[in-house]
Amino acid sequence: MTDHAVSAITRQVLLVVVVAVQLVLPLPTLVSHPHAPTAWLAYGLLTAVLAVVAGHVAAATPTPAYLAVVPLAASVLATTALPAGASFGAADWAFGLVGWYLLLVLVERPAALVAALSAHICFSIAWFAHDGSGDVGTAGVVVLSGTSFQLGVLVITRVLHRDARLAAEAAVEHDAARTKEELARQREQDLRAGFEGQLGALLPLLADLADERASVADQTTRLRCSVAAVQLRRLFAENDDVPDPLLHELTACVDVAERRGVVVSLAVSGTATPVPTEVRRELVAPMAQALAVANGRAKVSLLRTATEVRVAVVADAAETVPATSGPETVTVETSVHSGLVRSEARWRTT
Amino acid sequence: MADDVTAVVVDDHPVVRAGVAHWLSTAGVELVASGEDPGVAWTGPGAEAQVVVLDLHLGGVAPATAELRKLVEDGRKVVVYSMRADDEIVLQCLEIGALSYLTKAEGADHLVQAVKAAAEGQSYTPPALAGALAGDRSETRPALSPRETEVLVEWFQSESKEFVAQRLNITLSTVNSHLERIRVKYAAIGRQAPTKAALVARAIQDGLIGLDDL
Repeated sequence: MTDHAVSAITRQVLLVVVVAVQLVLPLPTLVSHPHAPTAWLAYGLLTAVLAVVAGHVAAATPTPAYLAVVPLAASVLATTALPAGASFGAADWAFGLVGWYLLLVLVERPAALVAALSAHICFSIAWFAHDGSGDVGTAGVVVLSGTSFQLGVLVITRVLHRDARLAAEAAVEHDAARTKEELARQREQDLRAGFEGQLGALLPLLADLADERASVADQTTRLRCSVAAVQLRRLFAENDDVPDPLLHELTACVDVAERRGVVVSLAVSGTATPVPTEVRRELVAPMAQALAVANGRAKVSLLRTATEVRVAVVADAAETVPATSGPETVTVETSVHSGLVRSEARWRTT
Repeated sequence: MADDVTAVVVDDHPVVRAGVAHWLSTAGVELVASGEDPGVAWTGPGAEAQVVVLDLHLGGVAPATAELRKLVEDGRKVVVYSMRADDEIVLQCLEIGALSYLTKAEGADHLVQAVKAAAEGQSYTPPALAGALAGDRSETRPALSPRETEVLVEWFQSESKEFVAQRLNITLSTVNSHLERIRVKYAAIGRQAPTKAALVARAIQDGLIGLDDL
């Protein structure tokens, strides 16, 4: 339950209590004892407060604090209208009732409530002392019992408020933890899905090998293996934190080709430029493809001018592997001249 | 002719000096002196050598650009031979007036061609140097035509002029003259040096490049 719900329910309960008290207790007393006429005015004022608060409760708007002036005024009127020596006696209909009214109006403002209640009690006691003819013992019991009951209600509402706030905080914390957990799960899933997408030729190749649809004795299969090996190696290099990621990925691909016995030279020119991961993939892919099928010698070059990044490979290659998908941001050109395959990927930085 | 070409090698590694000596001798270039100190290019037979092959990193950390400048200002034809392929250094050496810049990863063939070209006061642009020129982003870089840029890039990428000629559907000599024009354009900018002036003058005489192109 939220703080707000606690307030609303507290007010509703208090309203019911006050209505009941207002109707049941004071009326017979008022009628049966000789009060001054201002007592009826006090009763009228209190009834008006009841109506106003009921309106606010119905509209779910906060009760204005200044409304507390009316019960206090009613306290003065009712107390002064009492027959002589009747303070805190059977004829004193207003003392307890005004306390309930103050509680009803100021329940959300404990400090103001205590101040108003004190004023009310002090005035009543002062009037009692001024009158001088009542029984002190009875007065003490009335004051203590009435006030302690009302203060008890106040304490209970504060405790309820605190509990509600703590519960709400715990709920928010729990929600945040759940959200975090959900995000982490989603991220991991995305990463895995992305990885699967990037694995490219590898998964079908593994499936074919497992099902014995492909044999390593076959030249085509060996080609597919070397393509997959370069792709994998590039993928591993992709997330490394290095100053020049593009060169890092190229070096990774060159490394795989060199392990296969291809003599690769890598030439780099120009300074490192930031290249988005997507573009890097597209820039490296044609060269990785060509390196995978190269035999003998290959020359890989990376050129970065003011406006362009160009990755090229010129390699001895008996066969060419057809390009996979048509890239969008990168222009790829592949051609064969006198037994040499040349493949170049260009990306305009501007 | 080729038999008349003489060279001096300045390099702090004996094995490099021996290797270069071997490469040059098999190509008919006479190595008249070699040593780890630039002094060998200034005294004795080294002072008469047509071409100086200079290692840019003589023991120290800082490149020997001051040595290069002294040699060039004296009108010597210098081929820089370095293990560093740092674009900035490469361009700086051209600016000073080196006729060629070779990285040690580039083999005998390029070194011999560079030395022979230098002996005739001509530039030689090996692939790594072509890459450095193609990637040049400096404010002062000369304007190259799209074709020149394409030749430069293709040469850097393939290391084969035959391949470039085939790819661009031009002759081998056109590839060479494009590379030469580029070097002349570079020689015409920046600091004055005897080798650079000679390069430009010769290119204009040969009609390789017009005054308007510079």
